[in-house]
Amino acid sequence: MYEGRYKLHPISAFLNFIKGMKELLLPFIIIFGVNIFRGDGISSMFNQGWQGMIPLIVGGAVLLFLLVAGIIKWKRFVYWFEDGELRIEYGLFVKKKRYIPFERIQSLNYAEGIFHRPLGLVKVKVETAGSGKVGQAEAELTAISREDADRIEKEMEKAKHQLSREKTPIIGPVEFVEAPAKKTTKTLYHMSMKELLILATTSSGIGVVISAVAIFLSQFSEFIPYDAVYEEIILFLRFGALIVALTIFVVLVMAWVISVIMTIVANYQFTIQYDEDRIYITRGLLEKKKVSIPLKRVQGIKISQNPLRELFGYATVVVESAGGSVGDKDEKIRLFPLVKTDRMLPILEELFPELEWTPQLVGAPKRSIHFFYRLNLVWLSPMFAAVGYFFYPYGLLALLIVPVVIVIGIWQHRTVGYALGDRQLTAQFRGLSKHRYFILKKRIQVVQVTQSYFERRKGIASIHSTIKSGMMGATATTPHMEKEDASRILTWYKPLGAKEQSS
Amino acid sequence: MDNQPKNQISRKGLTVWRVYGSMETAVIALIAIGAGVLTYFFDWPQWLYAIYGAVILLFGVVLIFWFPKIRWQRWRYEVREHEIELQHGLFIVTRTLVPMVRVQHVDTEQGPILRKYDLAEISISTAATTHTIPALVTAEADELRARISVLARVAEDDV
Repeated sequence: MYEGRYKLHPISAFLNFIKGMKELLLPFIIIFGVNIFRGDGISSMFNQGWQGMIPLIVGGAVLLFLLVAGIIKWKRFVYWFEDGELRIEYGLFVKKKRYIPFERIQSLNYAEGIFHRPLGLVKVKVETAGSGKVGQAEAELTAISREDADRIEKEMEKAKHQLSREKTPIIGPVEFVEAPAKKTTKTLYHMSMKELLILATTSSGIGVVISAVAIFLSQFSEFIPYDAVYEEIILFLRFGALIVALTIFVVLVMAWVISVIMTIVANYQFTIQYDEDRIYITRGLLEKKKVSIPLKRVQGIKISQNPLRELFGYATVVVESAGGSVGDKDEKIRLFPLVKTDRMLPILEELFPELEWTPQLVGAPKRSIHFFYRLNLVWLSPMFAAVGYFFYPYGLLALLIVPVVIVIGIWQHRTVGYALGDRQLTAQFRGLSKHRYFILKKRIQVVQVTQSYFERRKGIASIHSTIKSGMMGATATTPHMEKEDASRILTWYKPLGAKEQSS
Repeated sequence: MDNQPKNQISRKGLTVWRVYGSMETAVIALIAIGAGVLTYFFDWPQWLYAIYGAVILLFGVVLIFWFPKIRWQRWRYEVREHEIELQHGLFIVTRTLVPMVRVQHVDTEQGPILRKYDLAEISISTAATTHTIPALVTAEADELRARISVLARVAEDDV
């Protein structure tokens, strides 16, 4: 079995260095920022003799250390295959060994950064089922060639195959276990440029960018020489509010354009493929990412539509998947970042044939409608009182929120609904965006029914169904339904054995 | 829906909650007394004293007598062969149904106050959530933990 040890590509040393720098960027900026802008700029540092140079020397030393550390990390990182395990040895000061049995490996995820691409390299993340111990039995190979990655995969197949051959004789008569046919990978979906553009332009990522720009500007505002700028501003203001508004508008448009570009870069050439037991998602322009989701680990599907996308019949589909690495944002994997609803259904049906995708939903009773906004109004009323009192009379304009809250409440009431299949629960609800969960009964961890005092009097109840998602749970809530519906869901959810006993 | 789970938590649990309530009231009383001292030294109006007194009294009644009583009366649990059912809540009553198949592990836990009253709390964890029964007699809690862990091991997926 011992076939020699493999090293990572030398570029890993450089990548380690970059990664270390990224982590130190913020402290660096703070240290240097303070030093540079405390005096009269960079020049002061050189005027003060060697003492002024201290930050520079420290910085240089840290950079050098990072570089050397990066090289050493690469030098000491080796991996090899032995006894059906992927074995890794690494460590900067302390040598660490990590053995991962192949059958425990859930998936190999590939990513290609800008430095990887020209050299034909990939970054490989080895994902295991997550034994509960955070960060254990999990590995990252910073940069290896395509062939090496293929070799790991082949080695993995071989080990799994061998394992099954060893087991079969015990089970029964000797059977020839044929080498598993090369899995056929089928491409299901390729995102068109049009969809990508719609995704980018209606994405809520714009909010993030706007706040980023705001922070950016507020940071720089400290460095702007105000006295010099002041007169210009006065001049500027003479042009009137129009210019100000225009500037804000231009900044917003720029923020939006940046957000659009970012989304396009992240989701460029979005493709879904699948074989018997896995879904593969490939995306990205600068950094090409490939994520694989074992179908067995899928806990539920969520289809979300924000009001704008709902209007045009587009939706986002999220796969809630169990386990994996902690703190990885990819846990809620977007199966479709954006797709036309009629185009998505056949694909979902093919991927998840056991789920019913267009069930008839049961809505909330009419008498429950005020539960959707009454409590919010109660909470808001002290605010209205305070604003109305202190900013009289304009503060009273805050009352305009009341109809908005009520309309949203009515909208939520009309959206909410559930459907019970034999083995499946479908739950639909709305914050402002509409969400619809499709969950198999065997994937539900817990069902909770809640009733407030007022709900109890009216015979209304809310239903919360929780599934596992990542290391935590995700809850599908259908609020303010008929009490009988809640009972029905509880009875449906009770394990079969219990039902037989009671009848 | 209307037939509640059978078992109530220990009567001593009510006492423990009253102890907690007293502690919370003591903190509030301290704050109110502090405010009273300020009032005295800065010559704020006299009627403020009445308000401080009323606040202490109100919180005392609510936290020591009223809330623990409702909570205790409402707390029900039942461990059956295939599922665990819980009911609790002050204003909002929550009914929870955990199938045995989903139970990952069970813990019992005992703080100093609970130990003094020979009580323990028992936490039932699924892959995604944790549910706690707050006050059971220690022996009962241990027995229940053992029972749940056996039942959870036996339970099989029926889907």
